[in-house]
Amino acid sequence: MAACALFLCCLCLLALPMRLAAADAREIIKQVEERLNGKSAVLTIAMIITTSRTTRTMKMESYSVGNEKSFIKITYPGKDYGITFLKIEDAMWQYVPRIEKIIKIPASMMLQSWMGTDFTNDDLVRESSISRDYDAKIIGENDQEYEIELLPRPEAAVVWGRLVMGVTKNEMLPKGVSYFDEEGVLVRTLQYTEVKQLGDRLYPSRWVMIPHDAEKAGNRTVIEITEAAFDVEIDEAYFTKRALQRFSD
Amino acid sequence: MFRTALRIAWASLARRSSRSVLVVVMISMSLWGLLFMEGIYDGMTEQMISNAIRSDSGQLSLFAAGYREDPGLHRLIRRDGEIVALLDGDRRVKSYVRRLRQDGLAATAHYSRNVMIYGVDLAAEKRHGRLDSYLLEGEYAFGAKKRGVLIGARLAEKLKVKIGRKLIVSAQNSEHEVAAVALTITGIVRTNNMGLDESAVFIDMDRARELFMTPAGASQISVILQTEKDIPAVQAMLRHHFGILQTLRWDELYPALMQSRVMMKGFNLVMSLLIFGVAGLGIFGVMLVSVLERLREFGIMLAIGTSFAQVRGIIFTESFILGFTGFVAGSLLGGGTLLYFYHHGLDLTIFSEGLEEFGIDVITHAVIRAQYFITAFIAVMLATFVSVLLPLRLLKKSNPIEAINKV
Amino acid sequence: MFFKIAVRNIFAYRKRSIITVLLLACTTALLVFATAYMDGSHARLIQSSVEIYPGYVQITHPGFRDNPSLENLIFDAAQVSASLKDFPGIAVFAPRFESYVLFSSAEKAVGGMFTGIEPEKEMKISRLAASLKQGSYLTSADNAMVYMGSELARRLKVGVGDQLAFVGTGADYSFAADTLTVKGIFQTGLFDFDSRASFVAKPYFDRMMAAKNYATHFIVQPERPVEAAALAVAIGRRLGPEYEAAGWQQTMAGLVQAMRVDSIFGYITLAIIFMVIFFVVMIYTLLVVYARVREIGILRAVGTGPGQIFAMLLLESVLLGLVSVLLGGLIGGVLAWYFHIHPIVFSGMEEQFKQYGLALTAMPTDFAPLVIMRDMAIMFVLSVSATLYPIFKVNRFRPIEAIHHV
Repeated sequence: MAACALFLCCLCLLALPMRLAAADAREIIKQVEERLNGKSAVLTIAMIITTSRTTRTMKMESYSVGNEKSFIKITYPGKDYGITFLKIEDAMWQYVPRIEKIIKIPASMMLQSWMGTDFTNDDLVRESSISRDYDAKIIGENDQEYEIELLPRPEAAVVWGRLVMGVTKNEMLPKGVSYFDEEGVLVRTLQYTEVKQLGDRLYPSRWVMIPHDAEKAGNRTVIEITEAAFDVEIDEAYFTKRALQRFSD
Repeated sequence: MFRTALRIAWASLARRSSRSVLVVVMISMSLWGLLFMEGIYDGMTEQMISNAIRSDSGQLSLFAAGYREDPGLHRLIRRDGEIVALLDGDRRVKSYVRRLRQDGLAATAHYSRNVMIYGVDLAAEKRHGRLDSYLLEGEYAFGAKKRGVLIGARLAEKLKVKIGRKLIVSAQNSEHEVAAVALTITGIVRTNNMGLDESAVFIDMDRARELFMTPAGASQISVILQTEKDIPAVQAMLRHHFGILQTLRWDELYPALMQSRVMMKGFNLVMSLLIFGVAGLGIFGVMLVSVLERLREFGIMLAIGTSFAQVRGIIFTESFILGFTGFVAGSLLGGGTLLYFYHHGLDLTIFSEGLEEFGIDVITHAVIRAQYFITAFIAVMLATFVSVLLPLRLLKKSNPIEAINKV
Repeated sequence: MFFKIAVRNIFAYRKRSIITVLLLACTTALLVFATAYMDGSHARLIQSSVEIYPGYVQITHPGFRDNPSLENLIFDAAQVSASLKDFPGIAVFAPRFESYVLFSSAEKAVGGMFTGIEPEKEMKISRLAASLKQGSYLTSADNAMVYMGSELARRLKVGVGDQLAFVGTGADYSFAADTLTVKGIFQTGLFDFDSRASFVAKPYFDRMMAAKNYATHFIVQPERPVEAAALAVAIGRRLGPEYEAAGWQQTMAGLVQAMRVDSIFGYITLAIIFMVIFFVVMIYTLLVVYARVREIGILRAVGTGPGQIFAMLLLESVLLGLVSVLLGGLIGGVLAWYFHIHPIVFSGMEEQFKQYGLALTAMPTDFAPLVIMRDMAIMFVLSVSATLYPIFKVNRFRPIEAIHHV
């Protein structure tokens, strides 16, 4: 009798770490998202886009509130100055001063590259929904970091088969994400490097997206965050369609 | 009397067996060739039409006002319940299906393509147009959770996907928001309706309603009737009841196909005339010679009291026997060949690339129509009749005594 | 001597000779005309499809046809131009840059093709200029003026003089956008093409899309279109492995095969007709030859050998065949020539053609003397072989039998 009880207790104890691990993974992801996005964030970003033929630089300002709303204004190069983007939930709009038009990005363009980078429109819309679309599980661990596997929930409308994210233990910041297709082929990698103090926190100031498709060999997009302010008040006016044109110049 | 004529006719034909046989062979070969051609060419045309009807337009299609010029979720048929009730009650209607249609995007981790999303009820489509017969790979099903998708063969090639792969389908819903859903490819279809094979994805109707946020209404109602003949009447009836909707026949949606059919009919007619015209020449030659070389014989018969009508009867009978035998032999050969190709189909896979380019099935099933045989019979009979007219005239004009004394 | 006898016989049995000649001549004319029509209609179909826009020879980066991305462009259009200049066999050549953009008019946003072309050269290569429906065609100096397909204009609800914007990706992946004015609207009759295509002058395009000295492909108009494939090979050799030159047979392989299928069915149809003719000629020969059994018997009786009889009869058949075939070839040839100059107009077939991506209303026949001779030779062989069986048969009679034949 007592032996049974003891045995059951041991089983329970053994079972606990698993659940804890799962809970851990979800917690970890949540923390990572909070650190990356904050309740709100104002960032100054430089993007360097490299292809086998050319290298281009773009600069922009980004205002975002949590996951749902963000406003981006391109500030460099001159010919693209004043192009603005507004994202609310899953919808995205773009304003092009040169043609004085607001364009709603249609479904058919969501998977096209955003401003010629290795990120797609869809990435910008969805990058915040990892916790909603994926189930997380810790698959590896050492002194410095966790390796977390993200498998898409069956109803999640994401093209990836699997993501693997490395998260640093100390700062709870992402180190890198690998994107795999359904057959387990690595399609692209996102690296978060050069962690430094930005605003009120430690933050990876250099993000590198590298596609692995043979057709895109030699391409990469580098994001450098030069200035950042987190959890500040952002005028709601930024997240309206009128803002697109109003804040364009 | 008739039996005598028959016996004499038969004897004359047998006496010159090689040429009689040649004529019969000629007629039967021509008929065989003609039947084969008609059956296969008609088969091709009808298959093309049938594919379009079954996979898309039905014999009649209903759309909301202005839909064809400006398609979208803002133009749905709202009274589909009424329409369906009306169709249910009309005995001329064999089947109908409702479909939702919207432009969208289908994507994998590597590729994405613009597609046309169709929300369908698979069971209804099976009863309606045998959509299942177009299944190339996989299963004709959307799975237990209705998260499956059937895609066109060419689309599958372009996206480089296989059965079981995930496909993200996104579209603008009725609130102008982009909505997306993750589906699994359960089957690949080849309809040979080029538009569908290159860009169609079929999803469960309920799934589509969710995705598009259109709980009611339909983009298209496709109707198939019991018989083709009722098409104009049913179209008029639907137009009368639902005036603002666009009710169109298959040939209004696919005018090129109707032209194909008309052209094929014309072509078959011309070929029949040509072939039997020439065959008629053959019969003519034989009958002419046959009569001329027996002038003496006929002269004697006439002299001993046989009426001209009876002699004429003999000659007609000879010609008729030749024609009829040829017709029967040709019909058996031709009919047998067509029957074979009706069941097994003519396999033209070596030309698949060219045929697919034009939406023609690689395996063509022959059509057999009573009309082929009826037209052929009339043509043969006409040929046999006309071909003896001149010889008879010559016979009539000749003098029996002269004829007997001819050397 | 045989010759003289054969000729005499032909004239002696006038009725048979006339019928045979008429029959064979008509059939030869039919064959010649049918072949001329098939070849002519195919040539016209191809010409139509190829000349509207795709072109006879295309030069691209080797990977471009399989993967039309910005990595597989022609990056030195000037070099290609220099190599093609004065190349023998080329009538005109021009670069094009095709891209896919989002068009946005006051009322609608639609995706479509946006292509930079050299307008003056295109006039001599494709049918774009000739398909002008409203407004006017482009010149190289045109800035922000677009020449678009009628269906695309309709979808965007714009007309000549209206403005619309485009948004797309430049050759360096940069963002490109500008406002355009509609200068002209074209209608080729190909629904697909008219609903997606638009064109601007390349100098303007290059500025907007960062495509200076770039091209997605070069289009080449051969001096002699029939030699397109050979020209493609020659160009490929001259340009080297950095480029790929493909003739229309490769870029439009489906069309080629479809023509082949059409030909096959045409020949099957003709074969069936010929089979009938074959039998008819055989029957007539049989009749005539049997009518002469007595004559032949007498000849045999006086010592003419069976081989000589055979030769004589064969000679008759050969002469008749020759005359018929020449006559028929002449008639057919004249018809082919006439309809080559004045193509046959088809009312009622346009929808069919449109569905297959062709804009046609009239078909010319082909006029090719060599092909006509080939057809005549075929008919000759056919007509002579049809007479062989009866000649054999009649030769088997024994002289006495023959003389007494009734």
